[in-house]
Amino acid sequence: MSLPILSVITFTPLLGAIVVAILPSRHPDLIRRTTLGFTLAAWVMSLLLLAAYAFGQTGFQFIEAHNWIPSFGIQYKVGIDGLSVLMVVLTTTLTWISVLASFGPIKDRVKGYMISFLILEVGMIGVFVALDLFLFYIFWEIVLVPMYLIIGIWGGANRVYATMKFVLYTLVGSLLMLVAILATAYAYQVAHGGSWVGAFDYERLQQFAAAGGFGGNFQLLAFGALFLAFAIKVPMFPFHTWLPDAHTEAPTAGSVILAGVLLKLGCYGLIRFAVPLYPHAAHTFAWPIIVLSIVAIVYGAIVSIVQPDLKRLIAYSSVSHMGFVTLGIFVFSATALQGAILQMISHGLITGGLFLLVGVVYERTHDRTIAKMGGLAATMPIWATVFGFFILASAGLPGLSGFVGEFLVFVGSFGVAPGIAFASIVVMVLAATYLLWMFQRVALGGLSDFLRGLGGHLTDMNGTELATLLPLGVLIVVLGLFPSLVLDLLRAPAQAFVAAAGVAVGG
Amino acid sequence: MSWSDIGTISPVVIAILVAAAILIVDMAVPGRRAPIVATALGGLGIVAVAILIQAGHNGRAFGGAYSLDNLTVFLDMLFVAIAALTIMFAVDYLESRGLPIAEFAAVLVFAVTGAMLVAGSTDLLLLFVALELMVLPGYMLAAFARRDPYSTEGAIKYFLLGSFSSAILLFGLAYVWGMTGTTRVDGVAAALATAIARGSIQPGLAMGLAFMTAGVAFKMAAVPFHYWTPDAYQGSPTPVTAYLSVGPKVGAFAIVLRLFVGALGPLKADWLPVVIVLAALTMTLGNLVAISQDNVKRMLAYSSIAHTGYMLVGLAAYAGGQQSGLSAILFYGAAYTFMNMGAFAIIAALQRRPGVTSQIATFAGLGRRDPWLGALMTLFLLSLTGIPPLAGFWAKAYVILAAIQAGGWLTALAVLAMINAAAAAFYYLRVVVYMYMREPAAEAGPSSPGLLFRAGLAVTGVATLIFGLFPALVTAASNAANVFRG
Repeated sequence: MSLPILSVITFTPLLGAIVVAILPSRHPDLIRRTTLGFTLAAWVMSLLLLAAYAFGQTGFQFIEAHNWIPSFGIQYKVGIDGLSVLMVVLTTTLTWISVLASFGPIKDRVKGYMISFLILEVGMIGVFVALDLFLFYIFWEIVLVPMYLIIGIWGGANRVYATMKFVLYTLVGSLLMLVAILATAYAYQVAHGGSWVGAFDYERLQQFAAAGGFGGNFQLLAFGALFLAFAIKVPMFPFHTWLPDAHTEAPTAGSVILAGVLLKLGCYGLIRFAVPLYPHAAHTFAWPIIVLSIVAIVYGAIVSIVQPDLKRLIAYSSVSHMGFVTLGIFVFSATALQGAILQMISHGLITGGLFLLVGVVYERTHDRTIAKMGGLAATMPIWATVFGFFILASAGLPGLSGFVGEFLVFVGSFGVAPGIAFASIVVMVLAATYLLWMFQRVALGGLSDFLRGLGGHLTDMNGTELATLLPLGVLIVVLGLFPSLVLDLLRAPAQAFVAAAGVAVGG
Repeated sequence: MSWSDIGTISPVVIAILVAAAILIVDMAVPGRRAPIVATALGGLGIVAVAILIQAGHNGRAFGGAYSLDNLTVFLDMLFVAIAALTIMFAVDYLESRGLPIAEFAAVLVFAVTGAMLVAGSTDLLLLFVALELMVLPGYMLAAFARRDPYSTEGAIKYFLLGSFSSAILLFGLAYVWGMTGTTRVDGVAAALATAIARGSIQPGLAMGLAFMTAGVAFKMAAVPFHYWTPDAYQGSPTPVTAYLSVGPKVGAFAIVLRLFVGALGPLKADWLPVVIVLAALTMTLGNLVAISQDNVKRMLAYSSIAHTGYMLVGLAAYAGGQQSGLSAILFYGAAYTFMNMGAFAIIAALQRRPGVTSQIATFAGLGRRDPWLGALMTLFLLSLTGIPPLAGFWAKAYVILAAIQAGGWLTALAVLAMINAAAAAFYYLRVVVYMYMREPAAEAGPSSPGLLFRAGLAVTGVATLIFGLFPALVTAASNAANVFRG
């Protein structure tokens, strides 16, 4: 191994943050372009990483390991498998798109904003590549601070409340997770004659767990703590109440990253850590979690119907969509897990796009109330067309990426419990209801009085805005038509997951 | 007494000479700050060199009343750093208020001399005398702004409750002496071990233990003995508060290490439940009350009570059988020193112009008004919250890890500590909200601190980062300083 590519990708945004910090704040355009340059660099490198990734191999690749705190066996250890590499690419893609989408809307304190965004990217990539539990925790917490600032400084009217709620919810979960991580490492240390070597190393812990090393009651407690941390982040019903507030108050790009990547951190944690390390507890809690997932799917959809605010509607629809992911994880089938991961990616692309589109309208109207909208298709035809495309993708139109993920989750969970699959299919009808009804109220019909009052401000999307949405649209179509591109990558991780979860490979 | 005894305590002797030198310089060139500051900081530098020369050596002086070991070296270095930082932060503040710098520096160095003596005390009587030498100058410092009624009020409360607690502690020490017949800590430990082996622990010893616990709990501001803290912290001149929040606290934990661990270690199974309850109460109450504070100094006072609670978790872990709990306390003390002094220093910077209050509204818009101060304050507050990779995170992680290793009730204590840490995020981040998410008040001007002040801020900021990024450097020292490892 020559070039430590994972570290380079992870810390390129940090270098960017340092460079931006040095630039004079009286040149906001220079700051914007520099930030975009660094995020694009990280993106290109992540694509190279994807190209260099050896498909079909099991285990982790591009591993880098260095001792960090030897007295406790804590390492700087990073590596990727098919799941991580996809998540890294998703992160780098959405980050540069978000930065580009912030060029117009963010006019105040540009420097601080861009630095926050770059540090946020460091944390997000770090979470997906960390193979040491302690390192993972550190990156996990690093994500929190910039997002807190992004919502709190550049957010809407009620931003302080929303951002504090976001931080406190997340912190309660993550600090309990820290206790669980330390307890896990300690259990490993005790079982290995008091040696801390490898006690935080994910691969070793996983082998230890696979050999049944962790006791039953210990697993229940540790899994409970990790599950709480991840469930808050996903967010699963009933821990979801921070999400609509955070989404509504965050600036557009903040919402994109929140929906596109931050929610995935929770799912990723469940897949990578919570289930493989504590399979016994995962099985014990599987049914309650499946029930909660279905509640989230149905509840999110029903509540979406009555939301008066565009962003709030999309936020609740996220709760519903993420329910499919947790469902797909906890039926412990390789097919369902592949579907869940595809759903994670697809939700990131689609919901990210929807938030960008709402941001476009908000820039012109400074309002997101559905009741005030109407007839936007007449004045903003390009916008309405793109919006319609993303709406259909979100509703799960076959041929687009959203459909494949949900379909695979159905197939995978059908083998476990046909009733679940049926219940969730019903929800697709609900999803079509709230999404199409929203589209109808916003885009179709005559121009509303409120919009007419804005007069000439209602211009259609400009080139930059279109440039942010185009890559997302392309990816949605490509993944919808050729899902095997991703599914091939995920086969090995999914089988490893099912094996670790202790269930025979299904599907 | 011999010359080798003097050699063993040479850092303490030099420190006393430095304090005297400051007063002499003030008489020779009255009213000039540069020579005084140079004498104080230069003198403290010499003390630091004297301490470092002793690093790695072990020795005893005065028939075993004073011990030189790695613990002494670690704590002495910390105290010297505290004194130097306090002086760096105080000069601007005192000068703009017409308060004398020389007296301040001299009294401070005397206090630190006492603290250094505490660190090396292995005799109950010397421990008490050293403690008094540490706290008496503290009362003077608290009352330093003598025309300010709040300063006087806080100082009187601090003095009265502090004197009571000293008396209570002394009473407890007398019991221990009466029951064991010796004042040397190793002698006490040996006598207790024999008594336990014979199964004959007298009730008087329990009385002594109770008195000593109450006395020390006062000094470290543990709930329910914390009532002096908020008033003393809020009323004192801000640089003094910075000192009070770390100097006497680390000093109190030095007493804990020398007295409870060194002398009363054999009884640890008996005082473990007390420490668990104290820790749980201290961190929970400290945090809950801090949430409702609108004055940042008062808020940090309650937060300092909460941090005492986290440090007590380390002590409980020791009593529960994990020696690493003590290393964790030492790491915590060092990390807390830098991040907390940094936070108080920012308040002092804002209060450079007399009349500026420490209300949270003072912080409104600081991020825009003075980006560097805002960024540093954010750094210190995030570190106090325990966000990685900053000093405060590792401090908590080590304490929690020790508690988990001890197991049983201590695991529950670890969980409680983490829930507390999450609650604490609310009030720390509230200051960040004011700094970055509120518009500044109209008249607030730039604070432009002096060069010395900036150097002090740089030291605390860099230390907070270095502790966070390379904790192994500090754990090497704190592990070596844990002389109680089996």
